Amino acid sequence: MARLRIIFESGEPERVIEFDPAKAPFSHDGQPGSILDVMLGHHVHLEHACGGNCACTTCHVVVKAGMDKLSGSEEAEDDLLDKAPGLTPTSRLGCQAVVESDDAEIVIVIPRFTINQISEQH
Amino acid sequence: MSDPLNPETGGSTRRTVHSASIERIFNHSADTRSLFLRLADGSNFAFIPGQFISLELPLKDEVRVRPYSIASSPEDGQPLEICLNLVPGGAGSHYLFGLSVGDRIGFTGPFGRFTLDRAPEVETIFIADAIAIAPIRPMIRRALADQHHPALRLHHAARTEEGLLYRREFEACATRDSRFSFEPALIEPPSGWTGGRGGLIDHVERRYVTGDENRNRRFYICGVGKPVFDLRDLLRGTGYERRAVRYERW
Repeated sequence: MARLRIIFESGEPERVIEFDPAKAPFSHDGQPGSILDVMLGHHVHLEHACGGNCACTTCHVVVKAGMDKLSGSEEAEDDLLDKAPGLTPTSRLGCQAVVESDDAEIVIVIPRFTINQISEQH
Repeated sequence: MSDPLNPETGGSTRRTVHSASIERIFNHSADTRSLFLRLADGSNFAFIPGQFISLELPLKDEVRVRPYSIASSPEDGQPLEICLNLVPGGAGSHYLFGLSVGDRIGFTGPFGRFTLDRAPEVETIFIADAIAIAPIRPMIRRALADQHHPALRLHHAARTEEGLLYRREFEACATRDSRFSFEPALIEPPSGWTGGRGGLIDHVERRYVTGDENRNRRFYICGVGKPVFDLRDLLRGTGYERRAVRYERW
């Protein structure tokens, strides 16, 4: 079983999900087996304003452990992450980072905020 | 609206869900329509051309989030216009096509960084595939509003003529403004069609890659699936700056 530990910067209690990556998808959104898919399928909320289609950064997560057990990022994800607040070398989009190993031990932090919701006044 | 300089929500936090009523429905064709939304509490809704909202669709087993680009302009206020296709087997689009004038719908947003908030400084090419014209329509309007705007061109491709949404509007803009050109293309052109033929990538390669040595252009590309990445790779791979090629893939 793979293990996903989720730490919330907002102060919510952390969560741990144990799952079998081979059983993906767990939900309707994000890449099958992605962090977003795993979280939604286990009733842990992660914002995904674009529906998990790699078109925003609201599912930005910072990977603290297990980066080598996740699929690599592609150009579209990197283009979006460039605009994410609080970008780190281990930032990923939850909808795109797929857990690839059935013994993975992944630890992520969910940032408190995003700048995807921006506006202008008229 | 959230303060853009002090964004407090995101990640695991749930945003405020706006409630809107459907003020009008316009059918572009049998399977493509626009919904016109007005906030139920009468409040304003500010956004930047190119942004999208996330509709919350109460399907049978869960609330599903689906993004829709705003096809109307901030300058027009409300109602907000969103365009949608009826997707065979798509629970979300079937739900939306079942709604009537007066029905309520919840959404969050606006979201997205595929935006254009002022006229660009250099020649800019907009490339849209069928209904993916939605976010580009308000961008073009914003750019055209600046009397000093550079040359702007829109390539809009669709399978058939009815897929060229807002065609008359863009033709009228091109008639009024000599620095804006509109080049529609059809994959299945009818007899007598005088516009472009075939897919977007051939047009783009001919005009902006093999056509000249100028690499000082900007591109805004929106479409469905892999062709968007193909266009991105073509342009970035032939001398255009990475940041000059902006795209949103549906």
